[in-house]
Amino acid sequence: MIRTELKRGTAELAILSVLERQPLHGYEISRRIEQDSAGALRFTLAALYPLLYRMENRGWVRGEWGTSDNGRRRRCYKLLPRGRKMLAPLRAEWADLFRAMRRVAKVNHA
Amino acid sequence: MLDWLAYVNHRLSRLPLSEAEALQVREELAAHLEDTHLSLRAQGLSESEAVRLTCDQVSSWQELRRNILSAKSEAFMQNRVSQLWIPGLVTFFGSFVLLAVYEILGFPLFVIHPGEPSTIVIYVYWLLSLPLLGALGAYLSLRARGRGLAVHCAALFPALIMAAVLLAVFLVALVVDRHASFRIVTSAFAVGVLNGILLPGVFLLVGDLLLQLVMKCRRASN
Repeated sequence: MIRTELKRGTAELAILSVLERQPLHGYEISRRIEQDSAGALRFTLAALYPLLYRMENRGWVRGEWGTSDNGRRRRCYKLLPRGRKMLAPLRAEWADLFRAMRRVAKVNHA
Repeated sequence: MLDWLAYVNHRLSRLPLSEAEALQVREELAAHLEDTHLSLRAQGLSESEAVRLTCDQVSSWQELRRNILSAKSEAFMQNRVSQLWIPGLVTFFGSFVLLAVYEILGFPLFVIHPGEPSTIVIYVYWLLSLPLLGALGAYLSLRARGRGLAVHCAALFPALIMAAVLLAVFLVALVVDRHASFRIVTSAFAVGVLNGILLPGVFLLVGDLLLQLVMKCRRASN
């Protein structure tokens, strides 16, 4: 299990990455991240929404109310161009960090 | 099944946002809890166990309230800085640099003597330049997605600052310097209002309104 502090740092990249594929509502975002990370990354409601609101305010994502597949009213988040622009530098930053950690901690597969 | 909206309403009853925004936040959080609960039930958990695990999504509602407000207020502060303070200060410093430059270069002034003890000095060239600065302030605010009052305040910033300063000086002069004639203080105040607030305010507003009109026409033609 990855430590909480490191997880917090990955949050923005994780959310932007799943939204890059398709617009999702909050619960779907947390499920998708959990599935894609094989359970290593888990977002509770308390962790997810303040982050989503912050990203929305920065113009990275936009939430819009709509109706989900099961007919319920849900607020769906869509990646905006500004958020898409953030993906490349965030990915590069994390790649650098993992490379550095591999060298420092002598980890073969970070 | 538990009414998750009622549950969230109870837990987040005091959320100091606008009514519509608070309602949206509560509805969204309730929807998340509902989905979590349904998913846990679908996995075969008992109702009580599913409710318990769903409620565990939030360990501290107080902390969640703080974090939501912090996320929302970050935007408010950022918007205020980019839509009002930065454009306003640019207009303010721009207007005073311009005034200093005209004074140094010796541009002619227009002096009126309406009667003792007042003398009104009109900085004609400075005033004629102010629409440009008003337009600049409005443009910077609009570019940062400013709207309505924020745009006007950014454009009129020098006049607003002068209004605050003059009012403070007037009150201090009345209280501290009791020997000064009330007539002298009020006539000096009136000249200050005309020279520092009204005239610059009108010229700045002309620039502000013209720019907004041009941008409106441009948007309409697009």
